[in-house]
Amino acid sequence: MTLLVVRLRFTMWRTAMSRSSLHLTSSIVGGLVALGVVALLGPGIAVLSTRPLRLTALTVPLFATFTLMWVVLSLVATGVDNVLDPARFTVLPLRARELARGLLAAAYTGIPAVMFVLLSLAQVAAWGAHPAALPAALVAAVLGTLTAVLGSRAVTSALARVMGSRGGRLVGAVAVSLVTLLPLVLNLVLTTGAVGPDLRTFDAGPSARVASWTPVGWAWGMPYDVATGRWAAAGVHLVLAVLLVGLLWEVWVRQLARTLTSPMTAGGGQRIGRARLLPAVLGTGPTATIAARRIRAWYRDSRLVSIALRTAVLPVFFVVQSALTGAGAFAGTGVVTLAVFAGLTLMNDLAFDGPAWWVHVSTGVRGWEDRLGRALASTIVFGPVLVLTFVVSASLGLLHPVVPWASVSLAAFLASLGLAVGVGAVLPGTAPRTGGNPFAASSGGAAQGCLTAVVSFVGPLVLVLPVGVAAVLTAGSPVGRWVVLVVAGAYGAVLLAAGVVLGGRRLDRRAPEMLGQLASAQI
Amino acid sequence: MTDGARGEGPALELVGLVKEFRGRRVVHGLSLSVPRGSLFGMVGPNGAGKTTTLSMATGLLRPDGGTARVLGHDVWADPAAAKAVMGVSPDGLRLFEQLSGRELLHYVADLRRMPVEESRPRAEELLAVLDLAADANTVVADYSAGMVKKISLAAALIHAPRLLVLDEPFEAVDPVSGQTIRTILRRYVGTGGTVVMSSHVMELVEGLCDRVAVVAGGRVLADDTVGALTAGGSLHERFLELVGASEVSGDGLTWLGG
Repeated sequence: MTLLVVRLRFTMWRTAMSRSSLHLTSSIVGGLVALGVVALLGPGIAVLSTRPLRLTALTVPLFATFTLMWVVLSLVATGVDNVLDPARFTVLPLRARELARGLLAAAYTGIPAVMFVLLSLAQVAAWGAHPAALPAALVAAVLGTLTAVLGSRAVTSALARVMGSRGGRLVGAVAVSLVTLLPLVLNLVLTTGAVGPDLRTFDAGPSARVASWTPVGWAWGMPYDVATGRWAAAGVHLVLAVLLVGLLWEVWVRQLARTLTSPMTAGGGQRIGRARLLPAVLGTGPTATIAARRIRAWYRDSRLVSIALRTAVLPVFFVVQSALTGAGAFAGTGVVTLAVFAGLTLMNDLAFDGPAWWVHVSTGVRGWEDRLGRALASTIVFGPVLVLTFVVSASLGLLHPVVPWASVSLAAFLASLGLAVGVGAVLPGTAPRTGGNPFAASSGGAAQGCLTAVVSFVGPLVLVLPVGVAAVLTAGSPVGRWVVLVVAGAYGAVLLAAGVVLGGRRLDRRAPEMLGQLASAQI
Repeated sequence: MTDGARGEGPALELVGLVKEFRGRRVVHGLSLSVPRGSLFGMVGPNGAGKTTTLSMATGLLRPDGGTARVLGHDVWADPAAAKAVMGVSPDGLRLFEQLSGRELLHYVADLRRMPVEESRPRAEELLAVLDLAADANTVVADYSAGMVKKISLAAALIHAPRLLVLDEPFEAVDPVSGQTIRTILRRYVGTGGTVVMSSHVMELVEGLCDRVAVVAGGRVLADDTVGALTAGGSLHERFLELVGASEVSGDGLTWLGG
């Protein structure tokens, strides 16, 4: 059974790759990136064996963090893939326990999991200088990776249950969006506390001890306990880690059993009043109608709600961090990042529509109306958030000087919008399935994901750079900075117009082909 | 809305349509002519290419060869003009599920640039006739399969098109609503409209349509009036004859139930 599931996974993988060259390329690129990360991090961790114990202890907080990130990230998008959705096995006469064994084995075949296992082996090597700790490190590697993989499965499947109803999905989306910001909070705490660690005197011991008493650190703490001769602590950690793995396994099996007997169906009648406000404000032309629908989606569609929340909460951290550290650059970067993210949310907007986009094709909507409507909706949703963040940061005195930062933020928002509506008309990207778990992960998405990630990262940087340079150069000039602000606005508007026109033309020309792409854009 | 129609040719004319998926040809130079004012049924086994053909006829799937003309407008040379005069209800493509049924109708009408004074009353009337008024404020995501079919039909009708292309319009629809839809379609054809619909249900096509085309393997096997095609027998028998009943039907699967 186990072998069968693993083989099924490879078969599906192979089919997906042979059906799309983009998928193949991205799998190879993803594999190479993963290999690169392992090649860089792995030796870095292994070389800790030649360092004093106080530095080798770093593996404990490091791998505890990896484990935590694994579970948290699997909620967002990347950690788990749902090629083997348990719901697909419901009609087969299978016991949950058998299936769970198979799915667990299959989970270990994914690129991220292989990466994690390799790194955990580097962790074993790191304890090479302490022969007594070696077996403990090996056990830690096994229990630690199990904690991560089972933890992500248990948490996602338990959450998926909550997300079964639309109301639950909204609440869940809000909760999880905030949880996924946990690493940022961690970063906030760390950067305010620690000041540039000096390797000659740095002692990782205390943080290792703290990390080893968190659930994600129980397993990873064992080699350190043994190396420092605290056998009792090692024993307790071993028992706790085994119990945790057992508990996560049971939770997961139980969730699987429930999925097998009652596959999830979205329920709950959401009733909607007659909208009067949006049509009254925007009018009823095609562009306005599309904008109104997208605005409604930002608060009705749990998939978008979670994105909106994360996008909107993100800058708060930058601003808080800036206020705590007194470094104004953080606040400025935060506002600009928000501007870029808010613009780029349109990148995979078509994927969120999915096959339903046929309505636009069939009614003969022009491409530019589609593009402009979406840009308008994003401006109405994120514009106020952006302005508010900017005004708050500025009034706290964190944005200094104000006008150049305004120029860069404005250009960043408009340029990102333009980039997203332009590129989004060529690469629709992927989105979670309509009405599905908003955190449903994708493996097929990795395909275009890689390409769009590069475009989303490099694009805004390149487009905003000229404005940034101009803003810095004129920061001292009282007249010059205002000129730059006006020019930045005009420049952004031109980019947005270019995105709308070019993206629109592309959609006009290749609407049926886009519809074909969208058929498989939801995962 | 007769102004969009050019000349007096057929309502839908497909000439030599070809479609290949990954090198495999699924539609082989298919040609069909649907006269104006007729209720045209398209029947065929699973995988016959019905949905593929209708998608190419409505501008949703680009053919690899051949032409499709709707009331004189070339669907692929002048898509806007062709789309303006036809209403489409595809099978298996989702709708914007975050909108309520009423919002969806308004959305489609607005995309088609209909004046609000005209589209809003029409939407209410369609909701009432199709027995969706009670669920007009429920999001489409919560609709049953039959209700989705009905709201999709309403969205195709709202701009009073001259040609209706419906893929499996009766699937999952209850008998009462089914009767309503039949009445609507007959009345629509009576006023000069044209309907092209696909179906698996022979009895339905036989009782409702004027003309029928049997499609299998991406080719038209027969295309005639229902009376001429059945020639005294039933469409069901004629269909099995044309398509060829499966060999297994008699002797295979003997272990089943044994």
